This record gives sequence, C-alpha cells and structure tokens, in this order.
Amino acid sequence: MIRIEGLEFSVGGFHLGPLHLEVAAGDYFVLLGPTGMGKTLLLESICGLLRPQQGRIIVEGEDVTALPPRDRGIGYVPQHQGLFPHLTVRRNIEFPLRVRRVEAAERRKRLEPLIELLGLGELLDRWPMSLSGGERQKVALARALASQPRVLLLDEPVSALDEPSRERLCSELRRIHEELRVTAIHVSHILEEAFSVADRAGVLHQGRLVQHGPIDELLRRPATEFVARFFRTENIIPATATPADDGSTTLAFDGHTVHVPGHYRGDVTFVVRPEAVRIHAPGSTVPNGVPAVLRRVTDRGPYRRVEFDAGRQLVAYVGRTAAESAGCVGESRVVAFPPEAIHVLPQPPDA
Amino acid sequence: MAEATHHTNVDRGPVAGPRVHPLSVVTLAFVFLFLLIVVTLLVTDLLYIQRTPMPKKVAWGAILAAVKLSAITSACTLVLVVVFAIPMGYALSRYRFRGIVVVDTLVDLPIVLPPLVIGVSLLVFFSTSLGQWIESTGLKFVYTVPGIVLCQFLVSASYGVRAATAAFDGVDRRLEQLALTLGCTPWQAFTRVALPVARNGIVAGAIMAWARAVGIFGPLMIFCGSVRYKTEVMPTSIYLELSIGNVEVALAVALVMVGLAAVALVAIHALAPGQRWWAR
Repeated sequence: MIRIEGLEFSVGGFHLGPLHLEVAAGDYFVLLGPTGMGKTLLLESICGLLRPQQGRIIVEGEDVTALPPRDRGIGYVPQHQGLFPHLTVRRNIEFPLRVRRVEAAERRKRLEPLIELLGLGELLDRWPMSLSGGERQKVALARALASQPRVLLLDEPVSALDEPSRERLCSELRRIHEELRVTAIHVSHILEEAFSVADRAGVLHQGRLVQHGPIDELLRRPATEFVARFFRTENIIPATATPADDGSTTLAFDGHTVHVPGHYRGDVTFVVRPEAVRIHAPGSTVPNGVPAVLRRVTDRGPYRRVEFDAGRQLVAYVGRTAAESAGCVGESRVVAFPPEAIHVLPQPPDA
Repeated sequence: MAEATHHTNVDRGPVAGPRVHPLSVVTLAFVFLFLLIVVTLLVTDLLYIQRTPMPKKVAWGAILAAVKLSAITSACTLVLVVVFAIPMGYALSRYRFRGIVVVDTLVDLPIVLPPLVIGVSLLVFFSTSLGQWIESTGLKFVYTVPGIVLCQFLVSASYGVRAATAAFDGVDRRLEQLALTLGCTPWQAFTRVALPVARNGIVAGAIMAWARAVGIFGPLMIFCGSVRYKTEVMPTSIYLELSIGNVEVALAVALVMVGLAAVALVAIHALAPGQRWWAR
C-alpha cells in the first residue's frame, strides 16, 4: 500500500499538487495525463530523487518522506530504462542485491524465479547495447523487482516501443503483476496501454489528480470535461437541465431535448460516448432521438468515425460492417442517445 | 558485436557522390603530406644512428639511471594525476557553482602555458618565505627528485583532469540517480556506476598526462637542474649528450622516447572515447 498525502512541489514555473492518492496493496494503478504534466517529477519524488516542498509519502504505514531512495523499498523503472552499460544483463539484474552485499547463493535463489517469470534466461550474458527496446524494458523491470520492493513505479514503460511490442509487453506486465501482486504505479499518456494493464486509474490535470477510480468508471463517468476529452469522449454538450416530477431530467441543447434519469437543474454539461450513439433512419421516433445531417465519415481502421450536424457537431463510432447502413454524406438521420449512455458531469459546488 | 553494429551510425563519408572526388583528394593529400614529414624525420633518425658508430666514451650508467628515474618519477606523477583527476573531473562535471568559468580556466591554464613558465614560477615560489618554510620541514623540492615529480605533475595534471571531466560528462547523471533507488549510497553510485562507465576516458587521459610528464624538460632545467645520477631524466640526457657532441647517444635516447610515445598513443586509441569497449 502506498499513500500520498498533500504532495506539493514547484520546479521552475511548474507546480504540482497538492496531490492525494492511495493505491491499495497489490493494486495496479495507472496514472494518466498528457506529457509535460509532471508525471515523471511525481514518480521521482515518490522514490526520493526529488524532495517535495509539502506532503508525506507513506509506504505500508511507514512515513518514507525523509528517507533516502535506497531505504524506501520502492522499485523504479524510468522511461529511459537506465541499464548500466558496463554490466551484463545478469550483473544489471543482480545490481540491487550486490550493493546490499547479498551472498551469491541467496542472490541466485531470489533471482531465478524472477528471471524465469520474465523469460530473461537467454539474455543473461548479453550487454544492454545489444538488446531490443522491449528486452531492455524487461531487464530494467527485473532489476527493479530484484530487491523485492514494496511498491513498483513504472514511467511510460512501453511508450517507446512499436505497437506489437507494446501490446506484448503490456500483457506481460499484467501477467507479471498477477503473479507477484506488487503494488504498482504506472505512468502513461496512452489510453490503450492503461486499459490493458490497469485495475484502477487516475487522471492528472494541471498538477492535480482530477479523478481516480476503476478505469472503466473514468471512461463512463468522467468527473470533468478534461477527463472526458482525455478518454476521447467526443460528444461534450452544454445544456439546460429542468428536473421533472418523475425523477428524470430534461436536457435542452441547440433546440433539441433528451431525457435522463436523475435530478439536475440549471446549466450543465453532459457527455455521450461516441460508440454508444445509435443511428436511425430519418423520421424514426426513438427515445432521445435528434434529427441530424451526416457531414463526414473518417475511416479509423477497426471502426469509422461518423460526424453529424444537429446545430452542433455530434459524433458516432460505427463498426466497419455497420458503417454501410450509417448513410452517405449529406443524408438526414436520427441520432439517438440511449439514456443509460448519457452522463451529466458533476456540477461545481458553487454553480 | 554483430548485434550491436546496427546501433552505431554507419560512416558514409562527408558527401555522397563519385568514388573519387576532388574533396577527398585534397583533404587526403594533406594527411599524406603530414605523414610524410613525420615518417621522414623518424627514418632519418634511424638511418643516422645505423650509419654512425657510437662514440667510445659514453656514460651508459648515467643514461640508464636517467631512464630509471624517468620511469619512477613519471609513475609517481601518473598516480598523483589520477588521484587528482578523478575527484576533480567528477566535481567539475557534476556541480555548477558561481565562478566555475574561472575555475575551469585556471585548471586548463597549464595546458596552454609554456612549461618553462611553470619552472620559473616554482623557483620563485620556493624563494618566498612560505616556500623556504616548506623546504625547512625537510620536504625538499628545489634540485631534488620530488621537485621533478612536482614539475611533471603541474605540467601534466590538467590533461588528466580535462579528460576525466569529459569522461564524467559522458556518464548519464540519471544512471547514478537510478543507482540510488536500486540500493546505492551516493558513494556507491559513484564507485559502482559513474567511475566504471567513465573508466576508459579517465585511463586515456591519464596516459596522455603520463606521456606529457615523461617529456618535459624546460621546467626541470630551471627547477631541478641536470645533475648526472641525481636529477637527470631522459629529456635531460638528450640535452646533456647533445651538449657534449654525442648526437648518436642523444638520438638513441630520443628513439626510446619515440617508442614510449607510440605505445602511449596506441593505448589511448584503443581506449578512445566513443569506442565502446563493452560492446566489442
């Protein structure tokens, strides 16, 4: 378990925090955010390479804020991997045990299962220079795990890799985590990567953690517009909410109305995932249907992005096979938002 | 090595084009011209020594003693240079402080300074009351063997420090930081990561400094004199033999020095920065 309490620091003109975060023992937490949001600085302050101006870091109940990096029990895999060029793969992995003067027999006993788990047996006598990006990342991971840390920090571990290696390494990370159950914080700016590894996730925006929870929750129920945009929710619509007596609310926008369960009032913003948007023939009377004109179809490979004009832009993602029936550019359609797919963003308290 | 080659840049030459371009002809011509001069000088030396018989009365004992003294003093200097270059190179590479430009300049000064000036400065220093006091403690430098080491050190240390600084500059700071998270104290991060990664550059710099140390002559003549069996080192021998007309003997000693220099150069090249010995 790791808990970050009110962590705060400024570097140059950049300010991070105050940041609160708790990752339960054995959880795999992905911290998402665009590049340049201080994710690396945050990891460096967790592992002790940076001293925060405020706040505490608690690992398994122990306040480690004032401890030097080596006494924190935190394993860190930086984005640059940082394999030691003058040591073989074996020596690199043994490094944390050698500096702690662990006996050779004990070293072997501890490392053998790890080397097997990561499938590094073939690489032990190679030099870091001769490894591929994915191999290097795995060696760096093994080295960070060698001293059996209480928390593992991974900084963009797969972002430098090509697509297939990235997917492969992500599933390996997942498998290794399921095996070892070490508490992990993985920093990333890539959504697919987060979904393939995370139990829970959080989004960092302007130096603050704006939302955290199960990753699916972040996707379906974003707390802010930023989170919605980060998760590529393309329909972010300002509307006026009028609650009805039956426990539902009418949302009015650009001359259209849709109904959602729940009680909302005044100016709100609601979001609809593009893949949840349904397309119907013109004139159809479906719940929450909005007449619209098809403006553009963009091929995204596995799916197509269909853009409609209904006084404002509405976007639907359609599977390749269903795309034929979506219509042609210039045709009229009825675009429907299933009530359960509509999420009204929480209103700021002062609104 | 085979797997590593694709990481290193392929040398494609300055420009693409026909195999023989005036550019390559002109630039290579200068290389050959320079080579010609050097080789001619060496060959003339060799021929001279082969053709001319050695004079009958040669103080071989003194020369042998000079070679020995050169070896001993330059070895001491080498140790001193390394002892200074490693911490200094690390500090100059890692720490940014006010006035570092001044410090850098002063450290480099002996490289550009005529060695003779160092000899004069030392002589002047040891005539001051502080210098006199040091001599009075029993640690004598003027006209002594420790004086030779002192001269050699002052002339050559900058080369070692400069090389060590460059070598530490080449070590990614983040590697040391990472070592801290992997269980190292800052000292261990230095000895287990920074130092071994910088090793080759440091060794190459030390050899360079050693080669300079063996060769100095000017400051020794001023500060240590040229007393046979006492403060005579190889360059002094060359001078002494020439001064009594024994050109062949001077030349013989000179050729020994050329040989040493060649060995040093080969060693430096083998360790040249940029050539990654661990990838070989």
